[in-house]
Amino acid sequence: MIAQGKTNVAARYGMSIDVDRCNGCGACMVACAAENNVPPAANGATERTGLTWIRVYRVDNGGEGNERRSAFVPMLCQHCGKDAPCVAVCPQQAVDVDPATGIVGQMPERCLGCRYCMAACPYHARSFNWSDPAWPAGMEKTLNPDVAPRMRGVVEKCNLCQGRLHTAKAKAAMAGRVEIDPADYVPACVEACPTRAIHFGNLNDAASEVAQESHRKGSFRMLEALHTDPKIYYQSKKDWVRETASAPRPGKENARG
Amino acid sequence: MAGAVLTPAPWRLITDTALWSENWPGVPRPARGEIRARFTTCALCPAGCAVRARCVGEQPVLLTGVSGGLCPFGLSAHHLPYHPARLRKGPVAEATAAVAGKAGQGIAVLDLNPGRTASWSYRRAMGAMKGAYLTPQAEPFAYDLSAARTVLSIGTPLLDGWGTPSKVNAARPNFRLIQAEAMESRTAMLAEQWIPIAPGSESAFAKSIPQLEAARELSLVLGEGPEIAEINQRIGAFGKTVFGRSEAVVPETWTREAAAVTAFADVPDHSIAVLLIDETPATSYIPWHRIEQKLVRDNPVVVTFAAHRGGYARHAQFALPTAMYPEVLDDVAPAADAIRPVFRLAAPLVATPTGVVSLAEFVGTLSGVPVANVLRERADAIHHAGQGTLHTYADRQRTAVKELTADAFWKGLNEGGEWTWEDAKPRAAVMNRAEVRPVEPVESPADLPLVAISEPHYAGLVSPLLTKLYQESNLLLAPNRIALHPKDARDAGVVDGGRAMLQTRLGKCAVEVTVDAAVPAGAVQVGSAPGIQDVCGHAARAKVVSV
Repeated sequence: MIAQGKTNVAARYGMSIDVDRCNGCGACMVACAAENNVPPAANGATERTGLTWIRVYRVDNGGEGNERRSAFVPMLCQHCGKDAPCVAVCPQQAVDVDPATGIVGQMPERCLGCRYCMAACPYHARSFNWSDPAWPAGMEKTLNPDVAPRMRGVVEKCNLCQGRLHTAKAKAAMAGRVEIDPADYVPACVEACPTRAIHFGNLNDAASEVAQESHRKGSFRMLEALHTDPKIYYQSKKDWVRETASAPRPGKENARG
Repeated sequence: MAGAVLTPAPWRLITDTALWSENWPGVPRPARGEIRARFTTCALCPAGCAVRARCVGEQPVLLTGVSGGLCPFGLSAHHLPYHPARLRKGPVAEATAAVAGKAGQGIAVLDLNPGRTASWSYRRAMGAMKGAYLTPQAEPFAYDLSAARTVLSIGTPLLDGWGTPSKVNAARPNFRLIQAEAMESRTAMLAEQWIPIAPGSESAFAKSIPQLEAARELSLVLGEGPEIAEINQRIGAFGKTVFGRSEAVVPETWTREAAAVTAFADVPDHSIAVLLIDETPATSYIPWHRIEQKLVRDNPVVVTFAAHRGGYARHAQFALPTAMYPEVLDDVAPAADAIRPVFRLAAPLVATPTGVVSLAEFVGTLSGVPVANVLRERADAIHHAGQGTLHTYADRQRTAVKELTADAFWKGLNEGGEWTWEDAKPRAAVMNRAEVRPVEPVESPADLPLVAISEPHYAGLVSPLLTKLYQESNLLLAPNRIALHPKDARDAGVVDGGRAMLQTRLGKCAVEVTVDAAVPAGAVQVGSAPGIQDVCGHAARAKVVSV
């Protein structure tokens, strides 16, 4: 699905993810890693120490045996509002919320690797480069020239494929336009999703699909009680899925393993 | 000295070194160059999804789908040429001599991805050499989901890579899906109804379908069991949602020369002296013990043409390196939901590596059958027939074949295009002997308390980036892993992330363990690594031992 609004100074880019359509194939995770030059897992890397800008979690209703029902929930940086927890704690001003787009950006050149932002993020959407990124011999030829690989010692996270936004802006400028064509700016995960579960666009454009979906019945955001004002909306017709988003079940492990 | 240590200088130096070294050449620099798009067809599985490759100069850096997304395997296929496990050289001369030395004895080709033009080359070569052409299944069916209203799937990963995903997604709103499966798979999660069945009881469940309340509503039953075809025939699905798999036309001389298609299971035991295996791109895996059973006892020769060392290369006398998508020009076999003829070329995106060998050329040389230009010959035959349309991915145009010259048709296919014959009458489905083969009796649970549940896909070689899915998350079960219910893990004395031994009647295999409450008690979910599949197929009895 493509963005359907027009970019302007007050854009609020966001997503609407239909949990009931996600089949957990992981195409979004792989497409994101390929687009943003995120390296393959290092030896011994795990869910906690690995690098992923978007991770699909399997959650369940807590039932046993035949009563068990599961769903897949893609989790990425939720691109919180102006009071994003990670922005407030960064001592280097390496994290900011772009007022023109609403995108929460991360500047690796400023990051000193203190990981306060990782501790502050309630969505576990940030990763730390424990070592220099490494690809198997020859595979570095497949790196995307629009995105610089990050060095060890810095935190990284989803930036809604800002490289694609820059390319779209450059294209618009070449054509003598101020506004980008929404079809030119589609994050890699949205483009890759085979089931079309992820929609992307400008939440400030009332006519956009994503803005309409954000107001639809069954729409919810993660941990709304924290008032972080995320721009990633989720959809599900299942009550238990929406309840899972409010808070994890006490004493239960939601993710597989 | 001690004084210098107490000054800020050394500490400052350490900090600065750490910061400077962040920008040392440990971080690779992406290559720059002219950005352009190229189009091809993904050949990793018969779905044959249309691919748009973003290239820097000649180097693909990003693959995306054209009409719908790609699966994670297809998205990362441009990494495969650089995989550390790639087979890059092999004893070609020795293998040729060994095969030639067995001339006149039972020779066979095992094609693990039948339905391609290369498959016809194998058949023609085997026809000339009086050999056998073997496939995992003799006569595959084709299914029309767009005509189905209620589908009962017994463990088929219908919404997880089965058939052509874009077609399945297009048909999905119009049919109701009932998924019968031991585990709540991805398909079961998205089905309208999930019927949990006991692990290994798929065959018994299939036999009970006529007694189900929903039986009268069913328009299609999908599954692996031998009784599925019979059930589809009984519910009247033949001719409505079930057809024979159609192939694009081939030159008439090929059909005259070709050896018959034989199901691997129908080959008499101990009858093959020379077995040549086409393992790239394999879409299924036959456990080694079943292959061994078909080989002569006295010094058989097995040559596998593989892209990596992980499959039959572990057992064969000779493992020869072969090129794979996206390094080589090949066509794509029809998918399970292709009820009408289709022809697509996977045009290479990177140069073919040196030192690789093609099985088609190998058997062509042995038999004297010319195979050098078969794809062009077939495209010309399709063009000559004058039916159907060419859909080109770059401009999304459809052009009737009659309006194209033979060269333009060939060029269109090579630049990313799909030929389809939409007006063709689907082939009638035919029941064959292989489909009514009796089921093997279930083993006794006496000393092997667990029943195996297999991963639905055999992936073969995958991009190192897929570690995102099974190492840095738990989205996929890693190929070398098993998953157990917490109770069974406790009984076996194994822990999450620990190592264990998986034992069956056929042998044992070292595995890593995932403890997962989604696995039913009494079952073990096994990864798709060939080492595991060699000893433990679906529904096999097994036990897990702590090491």
